[in-house]
Amino acid sequence: MKLLKPSWVNHNGKPIFSVDIHPDGTKFATGGQGEDSGKVVIWNMAPVLREEDEKNENIPKLLCQMDNHLACVNCVRWSNNGLYLASGGDDKLVMVWKRAAFIGPSTVFGSSSKLANVEQWRCVMILRNHTGDVMDVAWSPHDVWLASCSVDNTIAIWNARKFPEIVMTLKGHTGLVKGLTWDPVGKYIASQADDHSLKVWRTMDWQLETNITKPFSECGGTTHVLRLSWSPDGQYLVSAHAMNNSGPTAQIIERDGWKTNMDFVGHRKAVTVVKFNPKIFKKKQKNGSTPKPSCPYCCCAVGSKDRSLSVWLTSLKRPLVVIHDLFDKSIMDITWTLNGLGLLVCSMDGTVAFLDFSQDELGDPLNEEEKNAIHQNIYGKSLAITMGSQLSSTIIENPEMLKYQQEQQRNQNPNGAQASGPENQTPKLTNVLNGESLEDIRKNLLKKQVETRTADGRRRITPLCIAQLDTGGTAAVNSIGMKSNLLLTSASKIEPMKALDSRFTERSKATPGVTSVPLTIGITPLDRVKDSSSVKEPKGKDETSSDSEDKIVVKSMTKRKGEMEGAEVVEKRKKGRPRKDAKIMPISQPFPQTPVSLDKEPSRLTTPVALLKLPTPSIQKSFSTQVSTDGVTYLEVENEVSVVSGSRLSQLKWSREGREWDTLLPSRIIIATGSSDVVAVACEDRTLSVFTACGRRLIPSIMLPAPMSALHCSGHFVMALTASATLSVWDVQKQTALVKNESLNPILSGTDATVSQSFLTRQGVAVVSLSNGKTYCFNSSLETWNLIADKQDSLVQCADFRNCVSSQDALGSMGPLALTQGRNLSAGRLASRLSSMPHHLQQGMTLAFLEKQLASALILLSASEYRHWLLIYARFLVNEGYELRLRELCQDLLGPVHKSSSSSWETTVLGLRKRDLLTEVLPVIGQNLRFQRLFTEYQDQLELLRLK
Amino acid sequence: MAKVQVLNVAVLDNPSPFGNPFQFEVTFECMEDLPEDLEWKIIYVGSAESEEHGQTLDSVLVGPDPAGRPMFVFQADAPNPALIPESDAVGVTVVLITCTYRGQEFIRIGYYVNNEYTDTELRENPPLKPDYGQLQRNILASNPRVTRFHINWEGCAEKMEDSENVDPAPNAMLPPSCTPGKAPPLGLVPDNSMDCL
Repeated sequence: MKLLKPSWVNHNGKPIFSVDIHPDGTKFATGGQGEDSGKVVIWNMAPVLREEDEKNENIPKLLCQMDNHLACVNCVRWSNNGLYLASGGDDKLVMVWKRAAFIGPSTVFGSSSKLANVEQWRCVMILRNHTGDVMDVAWSPHDVWLASCSVDNTIAIWNARKFPEIVMTLKGHTGLVKGLTWDPVGKYIASQADDHSLKVWRTMDWQLETNITKPFSECGGTTHVLRLSWSPDGQYLVSAHAMNNSGPTAQIIERDGWKTNMDFVGHRKAVTVVKFNPKIFKKKQKNGSTPKPSCPYCCCAVGSKDRSLSVWLTSLKRPLVVIHDLFDKSIMDITWTLNGLGLLVCSMDGTVAFLDFSQDELGDPLNEEEKNAIHQNIYGKSLAITMGSQLSSTIIENPEMLKYQQEQQRNQNPNGAQASGPENQTPKLTNVLNGESLEDIRKNLLKKQVETRTADGRRRITPLCIAQLDTGGTAAVNSIGMKSNLLLTSASKIEPMKALDSRFTERSKATPGVTSVPLTIGITPLDRVKDSSSVKEPKGKDETSSDSEDKIVVKSMTKRKGEMEGAEVVEKRKKGRPRKDAKIMPISQPFPQTPVSLDKEPSRLTTPVALLKLPTPSIQKSFSTQVSTDGVTYLEVENEVSVVSGSRLSQLKWSREGREWDTLLPSRIIIATGSSDVVAVACEDRTLSVFTACGRRLIPSIMLPAPMSALHCSGHFVMALTASATLSVWDVQKQTALVKNESLNPILSGTDATVSQSFLTRQGVAVVSLSNGKTYCFNSSLETWNLIADKQDSLVQCADFRNCVSSQDALGSMGPLALTQGRNLSAGRLASRLSSMPHHLQQGMTLAFLEKQLASALILLSASEYRHWLLIYARFLVNEGYELRLRELCQDLLGPVHKSSSSSWETTVLGLRKRDLLTEVLPVIGQNLRFQRLFTEYQDQLELLRLK
Repeated sequence: MAKVQVLNVAVLDNPSPFGNPFQFEVTFECMEDLPEDLEWKIIYVGSAESEEHGQTLDSVLVGPDPAGRPMFVFQADAPNPALIPESDAVGVTVVLITCTYRGQEFIRIGYYVNNEYTDTELRENPPLKPDYGQLQRNILASNPRVTRFHINWEGCAEKMEDSENVDPAPNAMLPPSCTPGKAPPLGLVPDNSMDCL
């Protein structure tokens, strides 16, 4: 272990309350007291890590300092994606900082040090809610939420995707809340307060899961902070200041049953901060020795008011190392590097220390895959976002992939060049200046600037704007949008609370290493040794055996309980659904094509008879209707305008922007409708007349088998739904029938439902929605009715693919399919958020739902929707790791590389070239390095085809 | 949080004859669009002995100030020698640039100014009555002293209720409203009022 105290990291002697290393490891932030304000400073990590960088004057040490907090900053935390920094301070505020893209370096004007801010970080959001000092802030896994706690006894949960929205304020503590930690699985958040309690809250409903008070009842006095920490495997929560036998400890709380049997002992004063190493380790394999299975273990650093720091491995009974007198005052915060080998500690005395461990000391860190495997075993799902920096251990196997990944990164950083290294971080300030250099502007500024006199005769200068700021929420939103690729996490990842509780049953066999941890970790009060600085061999393993027996009992109990809960949930679902649907039903869906025909259907047929009958509109004296979606074409109908030699004539009048035509019909008009190309009119005498948009009759009157119930036009297509429940669709341009008098019997029989609405898509597909929430379309090639939407479909309710939808997709989702499903979709997604369904079930449902959507879009001939759902489907497959399906999808899109006559492969689908679609899908696949071979395989074949 | 940060003040035309106008090129940054103008002032502290010698050389409104980095040159006429005690004409004094928003001063930038004769003979035997035509003004541009005050950016001065707020302290750099004792000007500036590293 190497120890370094970089003296240049300081706040001019003022206390440093918080330190946090950026996830990419290139910089770290400190927070604390400034001169007359709070201060946040971002430092370069390189000079801490390497002596030559420290000596090199061209490498900046300080990257940015922000003195915007009005009072002392108690906590600084980077978001997991590294884009944001959150700080909380005595001014009751939480500020969220973001790197500004378009602004060059600046100094803090007037500061004596003359150090330029190399990076520009500015406050994009101020979160006001707390009525007292903010003590700690914490980003949830995957940056879904930001939590802040305060001396006002509350914890605020902010929606990190929609600042400054507050998701929930957690109330319950009766003392100053001084520390927060998220469960890495995302199911819980824990808080520790001065009220002698540690509370664990569920993220599912934000209610209290457990309140732990016993280890804290003896706690006297106060500490400035109580920063607790959760182990990376999620199994242990370690508190700050706790007491055992009147000695200060850090209490270990097991996730399993929230048992408090173990603690870290040895510090002479209260523990202020505990921080788990983000890595899980396994024993270093010595060269030559036979590899034997070793148990993974965690590593934890504990800092105390007694100014000393201890680092523990959960595989050892004694601390790995204890460092006394590292500081003159209490330790305030600890942060690990992402690789798990470095550690920064800060103190109230205004200094920081860096500890550098070797793998020989800590062990071999598990790579993300192995860590995922552990999570998978314990919680039934993987927690990691399998991409980007987290996949550092995965080797990129070919240049195409590397190029793609680099492009991705560049897209993530619009100022990517700056981010790549501290040396080339001198963005120019010229961007807003129309090519004029700043120097030129300055030369002429006095002459050029606009000076006016105000009404009261005062001089007023209009300043010249030399740069624009990308401040504010919009910028943040944009960047998130831009980063949608990055945030493309799977359903499970963003919905961490839905973890399967199967860990209780699987635990012992799945993660022998983790379960064995208590065997060695436990230091009972009997075994306490004040002088814990020496590392000795563990002894006395016997007392823990009873502990593991206990666990087995609990295991079986919890298992049973879990099953019961599951059953309950299912039951609730069944009960709940019809009510919800009842609510959804009356909401009439948008009906753009012919608003008139069905709105005015005061159903004449009151008693449903055995013979299917559909309501027909009543005959009105006159009515007008808007044709097509252009909003300027109108049809006016006036029945019985004149009587000529005994026969009553009705008039149809068409007008568009001043142009108009009219025609006369011998019978009263029931329904008139039109598209941009044709106008169709149904009369009382069961005839149907079709005209061109100019008023020329296209075909002689069509005789219908029954009165018209609904009539629609779209393009050259005319759809007729008669009162006897038959459907016909004609292409009046080609003069062919697409659907010939097809009965609605298959979809209506056996139900007491009626047709609630119908429409015709632009491609001439007839869509009929029933009052029971089902929507069908008639496929003329299969000659079948196909169910395309069902409001009672549980798949719709439970599918969760929100994370596969990117912002730019929103446009593509408009179309007939969206029209039939409407708001139902979002309702389903909402419901899924609250359900506590097991993950694999949800995964399956989402998959089934997405495949259904794809097929429906296909049958509706809706190309844009097909493409939309195809991309979502592909993202979902990528996120959830369905390799076989992904391969099948790619294979279908690619088709045979070598032409053969026997191949029935179509090159297009709905007019979209399949290979073009594949080109769109491939980047999605490339986002997950796991599929890099698949990516490469199809990328190469596409390239090959392109060269042909 | 302050909505306006002064990024830089460049002193132009320096050193220059005493009678030349002052020119400061100010670059600042607005965190958001400001609905009201900023008011900038140049105050020349003629004498350390009495506030009545402090003269406001000029005040300008600067606006509109959109979010971003605006820049302007603030030019103001040289001080009126008649208002400066003859004994203080030569030597070190101070020029202040202040900025107020909605009537509240949030930044005060002070520069030391040295007035001296360029002519060696005059320097050694200064005339009893200062010859302003021969005086050269040299602003110590490299060492601005900046004091920042927390103000209520949302409302006007009367409505201030922020307990964190600090009034422009009387020990800040020679505000004209206070009467500092006769002491060398450099010593008058307590370090703790400065917002510097």
